Amino acid sequence: MNTVYITSTGWHLPGPAITNDQVETVLGAVNGQPSGLRGQIQKANGIQTRHYGIDANQRTTVSNTEMAVQAAQECMDRAFRPIHQVGMLAVASTQGDHPVPGLASFVQAGLGMAEVEILTAQSICSSSMMALKGAWLALRCDEHDAALVVATEMPSRLLKRQRYEAATESTFAKKTVDFNTEFLRWMLSDGAGALLLETSPRPKGLSFRIDWMKGWSHAHALPTCMSVGSSGKADEERTWQDYDTYADAEREGALLLRQEVRLLDHIVRLGVDGYVRLVQEGLNVPSEVDHFLCHYSSHHFRPKILDMLDAAGVGIPEEKWWTNLYSRGNTGAASLFIMLDEFVRTQNPQVGERILCFVPESGRFNTTYMHLTVVDNNGR
Amino acid sequence: MDGNITIDGIPVQQAAEAIGANDVPELKEHAQDALRRLLRVWIGFERDLVTVPILRRLDLGTYTLADHRRLLVNLRQQVVEGSRWIARAASSMDRDHSEMRSLILRHAVDEHRDYTMLEQDYVNAGGEIETILSRGKNVGSEAFHAFMMQRASQPNPVDMLGAMWIIEGLGERMAIGWATRMEELCEREGITRFMTYHGANDDDHMQRFYTMLDEVCTDTLVVERIEMTAKVVARLYRLQLEEMGDE
Repeated sequence: MNTVYITSTGWHLPGPAITNDQVETVLGAVNGQPSGLRGQIQKANGIQTRHYGIDANQRTTVSNTEMAVQAAQECMDRAFRPIHQVGMLAVASTQGDHPVPGLASFVQAGLGMAEVEILTAQSICSSSMMALKGAWLALRCDEHDAALVVATEMPSRLLKRQRYEAATESTFAKKTVDFNTEFLRWMLSDGAGALLLETSPRPKGLSFRIDWMKGWSHAHALPTCMSVGSSGKADEERTWQDYDTYADAEREGALLLRQEVRLLDHIVRLGVDGYVRLVQEGLNVPSEVDHFLCHYSSHHFRPKILDMLDAAGVGIPEEKWWTNLYSRGNTGAASLFIMLDEFVRTQNPQVGERILCFVPESGRFNTTYMHLTVVDNNGR
Repeated sequence: MDGNITIDGIPVQQAAEAIGANDVPELKEHAQDALRRLLRVWIGFERDLVTVPILRRLDLGTYTLADHRRLLVNLRQQVVEGSRWIARAASSMDRDHSEMRSLILRHAVDEHRDYTMLEQDYVNAGGEIETILSRGKNVGSEAFHAFMMQRASQPNPVDMLGAMWIIEGLGERMAIGWATRMEELCEREGITRFMTYHGANDDDHMQRFYTMLDEVCTDTLVVERIEMTAKVVARLYRLQLEEMGDE
């Protein structure tokens, strides 16, 4: 099987960096009332700035497809291979611009890539890893020489004030504080990242060799934790398309993005479970990891994870952790690619260094891992 | 606002902390291997507990005072019998394990009257003392107790550490969170003192645990036996919580 390398990266973060105090101006205060939870949630997640593809009137300034295209173009601008020699396009997002068809078709059209094989991965954060794994395997199996993988995320359109104002019969409208419905409003933001995969390293400069990718989902055992499509009311089994009209679904709150916060801690534990499992399987050797790129969505989880892993003798020292969460925001599926792009451009990685990547998804508890090695133009 | 996210009074980071056992000492290689295995057993246990109906009601906010009485009635037998198997395990330790025997004995002393606190919680929750005193084991408690007595009766049953990991872990990592949620949903105080007492005291127990783990984990065979006992205890404990009949 072929060895596969990440040979170029790119990103797109729409509009200016938005500070904590500006967030509610962009997303809008629901019914004109400032949120009582915003400051608390922002303080806990530690994010300082982020970007949105909507303006202060909640009008869309860039589509999800356009962000993906721009990130892909930046990635290809930095690549040695011309885009017409890329045989596969894999695109990941929580939600494309259209419910159907898959987002990859639109991104392909935007990039003008003729007759490529496409793959759309739709989930939440880990959809990026699903798309990447599909592309990685296609190159491993010699189906293609190169694949473009793009992860893009535009939650702002789900989080703008009008969504909440229209949900007049929702738990959000009925409760004084509906933490589960409001939580993600102050967590997520927009952006896109792109990676070029090839079966040979860059002719100049550094590439990341993909050593392995693994994932474990725990949906068989745990309820849904992060979702759109249900009202979140007890004993309500309908999902959004079961209502007579979409207007009914919206009024009941079935189109709001919701997080069952009480279950959220499980994603941390299950992330640790997969990590230790990889140690037991001999794939993960923490003492040899030089950089740990972890998509974690909240600042305060970090030291707790570290303490726990140290106890079992498999900790990774804090100085090896790297993230741009605090400046670029939590862009869900796009986070890891946005992280890799900035990492390679600013952190001066050295040939031979090993990078462990971790992308958990709380949706219904999926945990995904990838191991990279920094190589030169000879693949060493 | 202090930056701690709370929902209905319960800190979100509670379980993240839950994983980080406090003040873990330096462990030798086999003990670290054992700890890694036990962590995975624990995480799987916690994950699967979410599906237990009575505990799922805590997450959903539909847990009632009647649920609470039902829980206490079903837990009591295990708590009563707990000090018996702890004492049995101590007596099964030979002179080469005398240090461990004294640690276990101290543990038994700490816990052997715990059930009286649980009974008082039951009364405070509106139950009749005669009801809780007259209830036998449920199907899960029966299997759980039988397994524990069988293991504790083996010569030098060091694998009981796997059992301790799960049972003490419940006290250390889950009990206070559950208790807070239970009192809030039931709108009554003084019904979870058994659980909060454990949450507050089990830190010391965990330190004893680590000391013993480091001492007994001398090879992979021991580590595997401890892991197996932890797995069985996790499964039977969950069975006990699943097999709750009426109050």
